[in-house]
Amino acid sequence: MIPIEAIVVLGLLLFAVGFVGVVVRKNLVVMLMSLELLLNGANILLVGFGRRLGSPRGSIFALFVIIMAVSEAAVGFALVLAYFRRTKSYDADALDDLKG
Amino acid sequence: MITLAVFTVFAVLALASAVLVVVQKNAMHSVLYLAFTVLATAGIFFTLGAEYVGAIQILVYAGGIVVLYIFVIVIVNLKEVVPERRPLLATIVLVAVPVATGLEVAYLLLAKGFPAPGRPGEGQGFRTMAETLFGSYLFPFELASILLLAALVGAIIVARRKLIHDPD
Repeated sequence: MIPIEAIVVLGLLLFAVGFVGVVVRKNLVVMLMSLELLLNGANILLVGFGRRLGSPRGSIFALFVIIMAVSEAAVGFALVLAYFRRTKSYDADALDDLKG
Repeated sequence: MITLAVFTVFAVLALASAVLVVVQKNAMHSVLYLAFTVLATAGIFFTLGAEYVGAIQILVYAGGIVVLYIFVIVIVNLKEVVPERRPLLATIVLVAVPVATGLEVAYLLLAKGFPAPGRPGEGQGFRTMAETLFGSYLFPFELASILLLAALVGAIIVARRKLIHDPD
């Protein structure tokens, strides 16, 4: 029997690691990867709570989150390709034209 | 007991490779560690009794998204490693904010403990899940398919090299 606290702590840790990756890294592709880590952490929490409540709804919402992650990855990569074509760089600092 | 041991192993693997995804300087190494994290997360789903989500995780994440990442890294040609420069104070603040957020939520959740679930749910089997998904959640399910179609069309249009001037 897995305690719910362990699942919550695992999901939170994975979420925090992904959050750090999104905020600290400047490489756009690695930032997108960290977004996948965030979504994985949220999925672990959803599945864990669904199991605790004995309900299929946790798995169903995790399924919707996965569908959303696929859409996000596709559009995100299209944006990265357009960005690369425009700036010849994948560094998020290359578009600081609006810096005041 | 053995389930807890397997869960612990997968949890440690997922967390270690997640940290390596963020820390790696070479993006291709990050992708490989991301694949490792995704597979370990699928193992966690299996130990939690969510076999369907685990299988979808392997099929869609490990088979689809990770391959997409590899394609993009090859196209963008991320071979050269550019050092990321940032002041030390900014890095400390940026790391501290997510850590503090996680600690706060963990404290709030664990200090009060979890209430016992009230009434027993419907169960988690495939049959129950399918009946709920195509019963109560039919409309969001169809919306998800429209979302995928819109994302597909949008990705093609955004990534296209330039506008095609069609005389018609």
